Amino acid sequence: MLQALDTVSFSKTTRRRIGVGGESGAPLRQAQGRFSLWPAGRRRCLLLAAFFLLSLPRFAAAGSWNGPAQQLAQKIVSVTGPGAVAVTVEDRSSLAKKDVDAIGGLLRVEMESLGARPVNLEQAAASVSVWLSENPKFYVWVAEIRAGKGEPAVVMVELPRSDDGGFSRESAPESIRKIPLWAQEERILDVLVLEEQTAPTQIAVLDGEKVAIYRLKNGKWAQEQSLAIVHTRPWPRDLRGRIAGAQDHLFDVYLPGVLCRSTTSLPLALACRESDDPWPLVTPGTASFASSTHGMGAPSLGAFYSASRNFFTGALTPGVGKLTTMGKFYSAAALPRERYVLWLFAETDGEVHLVDGVTDQAAKFGWGSDVASIRAGCGAAAQVLATSAAKNYAENGGDSVRAYEIADRDAAPASTALSFSGEITALWTEPKGDSVIAVVRNRESGEYEAFRLAVVCSQ
Amino acid sequence: MKRFGWPWFAASSGLLLLLLIDVAAAETRPQYGGTLRIVIREAPDSLDPSDMTQADSFARRNLLAMIFEALVTLDDRGRVHPGLAADWQAAPGEQRWQFRLRRGVKFHDGSELTAEIAASALRTANPAWRVFAEGESVIIECERADPDLPAELALTRNGIVKRNGNGRVSGTGAFHIEDWQPGKKLTLAAEENYWRGRAFVDRIEVEMGRNFHDQLVELDLGRADLIEVAAESGHRVTTDGRRVSSSQPMELVALIFSGDAQSAEEKLLRRALAHCVERASMRSVVLQGTGQASASILPNWMSGYGFTFSSDANLELARHEREQLRTSPNLTVGYDANDSLARVLAERVALNARDAGIVLQPTTAAKSDMRLARIALPSVDPWVALRSVAATVGMAMPKVSGNSTEELYSAERALLASQRVIPLFHLPAEWATSNALVDWIPKADGGWRLEDVWVGSLATGKERP
Repeated sequence: MLQALDTVSFSKTTRRRIGVGGESGAPLRQAQGRFSLWPAGRRRCLLLAAFFLLSLPRFAAAGSWNGPAQQLAQKIVSVTGPGAVAVTVEDRSSLAKKDVDAIGGLLRVEMESLGARPVNLEQAAASVSVWLSENPKFYVWVAEIRAGKGEPAVVMVELPRSDDGGFSRESAPESIRKIPLWAQEERILDVLVLEEQTAPTQIAVLDGEKVAIYRLKNGKWAQEQSLAIVHTRPWPRDLRGRIAGAQDHLFDVYLPGVLCRSTTSLPLALACRESDDPWPLVTPGTASFASSTHGMGAPSLGAFYSASRNFFTGALTPGVGKLTTMGKFYSAAALPRERYVLWLFAETDGEVHLVDGVTDQAAKFGWGSDVASIRAGCGAAAQVLATSAAKNYAENGGDSVRAYEIADRDAAPASTALSFSGEITALWTEPKGDSVIAVVRNRESGEYEAFRLAVVCSQ
Repeated sequence: MKRFGWPWFAASSGLLLLLLIDVAAAETRPQYGGTLRIVIREAPDSLDPSDMTQADSFARRNLLAMIFEALVTLDDRGRVHPGLAADWQAAPGEQRWQFRLRRGVKFHDGSELTAEIAASALRTANPAWRVFAEGESVIIECERADPDLPAELALTRNGIVKRNGNGRVSGTGAFHIEDWQPGKKLTLAAEENYWRGRAFVDRIEVEMGRNFHDQLVELDLGRADLIEVAAESGHRVTTDGRRVSSSQPMELVALIFSGDAQSAEEKLLRRALAHCVERASMRSVVLQGTGQASASILPNWMSGYGFTFSSDANLELARHEREQLRTSPNLTVGYDANDSLARVLAERVALNARDAGIVLQPTTAAKSDMRLARIALPSVDPWVALRSVAATVGMAMPKVSGNSTEELYSAERALLASQRVIPLFHLPAEWATSNALVDWIPKADGGWRLEDVWVGSLATGKERP
């Protein structure tokens, strides 16, 4: 795949001649000889004015290219001197076409301002090949300047590649909608939405070292607080954690062998201690399924989590009916029925156990390790979202999530699969029960991306 | 009432079938346990990172990286991240560097990582450096400003090793040595209290000294999970349906002269040789399209300017240059007798040279006019990589005033202008893996990251041979 990436950047290679030099440079020069200067000059002015007007929005958007384009133009002109120059620009980078065009335009304008006059190759005193290239850290713009028969001169400028890369918003799938919440380099364990209107306006993002509180201000997320998580033992690999709203304070944080409790209001403090307290499988003190108009709601159920591994030990509190011990499991989902709650446990041996307090039935659905319950406004009131591993990342992208209905202990797909761009590392039901937090490690960027998933009913 | 027709039934059945087929997938969350079996060609007889008598290779680096860790690490973009050092800073002038050690890290023998041990390890690996402990920090003083020192510290040789006497070594990495039969077999076990979190697999067994064909047989028989793939076989192994992964092109294949050109005539000869090599056809035929033809020391993906050094052959120019020579050149090109790819490439270079009128004889003898060398670039940091190649070919790194890409280009251009090196290709490191291996994502530099890998078939309970 790494090699393929390189190949992709080369396959993007496109060569284009910039500005008026290649196309109108020659006619203009002929015009100077055959016609009076003014009409030709007017045409030139009109052409340039039109170019600027058309290009203004692009230049404004590509403001960060200004400085490097200016530097490169200065370096080029310091070699060629003012005069007739033929310039070609070739893209060998991952830049978007609009950026390549903008850079080409800027470069031409800067060179012209320094006295270089764009002409076609036959009439040029010097030819300049500009390549917009890159290495892992920088965009590298290289200009090879040929003047006369000597060795070509090579000049270049570099500018850091932006790390944010944008948080691409993919088109919504047919029946599971994903809403991007947050992305960062550190592994995201869970996200708790603290405030929302039509969309979240304040969120708490949990990673292995901190809980960061962000607020949406003027359309941009700004960090309000960062609360360090104190722990003495090393975290297990495949670290998992939960941040759960609480009734008498703002939230609790559950991590392997560690429990943290926040204060009530901002500015917050976070007190962490070593603990083997059970993690909530249904978030306590929240609306959850209890407020659902469907079914009877799910009572609180906690499960003990291994301090040195990535699974629940199987011990439940207070238990499902008489059952207080399961096999080791990765995740659980509660599906409230009219007279009972059906619990699904995704065990580490790949089996899903369906437990209703009386019976415990094992099934092989071929699901991934993570399941989470979700309340849908259509079909069965309570559905389960289950992950599925990508068979081949290169061809099929990343893991996927699909909604299922459980009827007669059988799982029936209730939605199409929603694919992600990497591995799903967390899947937790949100407090209201009608959405799920999914965290994905993006295979391309390496960043962790948190989404809110909701089931969308088809018309 | 509307009746259901056959078309509707067929369509809905098809849709259901598609949904069900797609459901059949494996577990997504990593499983703990199991043994990972690796077979490699190299057969190192020392596991000391600073032992420079051992041949450098991707495999050796990866073995050592599982046991030993450096003060810092580099990511795929060459950015420096904390390793055993929690943070670091340079004094003004970037000659004196202070690396503050992470607390609570232990060696596999149970002893604490201390600044004294770390400083001692770095002194052994870098006799020219002035390294000493100061409280919880390691201080490194360089002869001149060295902005790339942190990147250099990430090199394999700078792994922090504790020497326990009798040649026994201990590291802080994700795996500790369980059994070591030099040059034959290495068994590693997961370190339970590893400070970055215990690895998923329990054990790694490494069998050494096996040729590429034997490795492939082991993989196909289910007796190996990870094997090396010869650069020239990558395409075939992939088309046979095996899972093959590649690093970025990290290996430089080049003609290396043992000394500087002594006369104008010799310089012209080397230029003619550089112009006559048909890299593109060699890549297409010998390498089966793997890697990149290159006339630069650093691969283009690393530098961003490599393409400015033209790798196109110019036989006409080569002949013209040859014709200007007064003497009839008769040269030898050496290659590693155990490396079949090097032999084929040396023979192809000799053929191209003959077309230009230069007699070039491939040889496995220790002494030759030039060698066809394969140099595994040690770092994704271009400065560190270039400096390493310069040292490998016995040249001093040209002095430049800063560390911009343009200055890197100047340094590389100066090295090439010396005519000690004629770059030919950049090749990736390639591996084939069994289907049981999950989350196998090698690094850009060919690093394995085996602490993140897990054995998928554990979940199904299937017995592995």
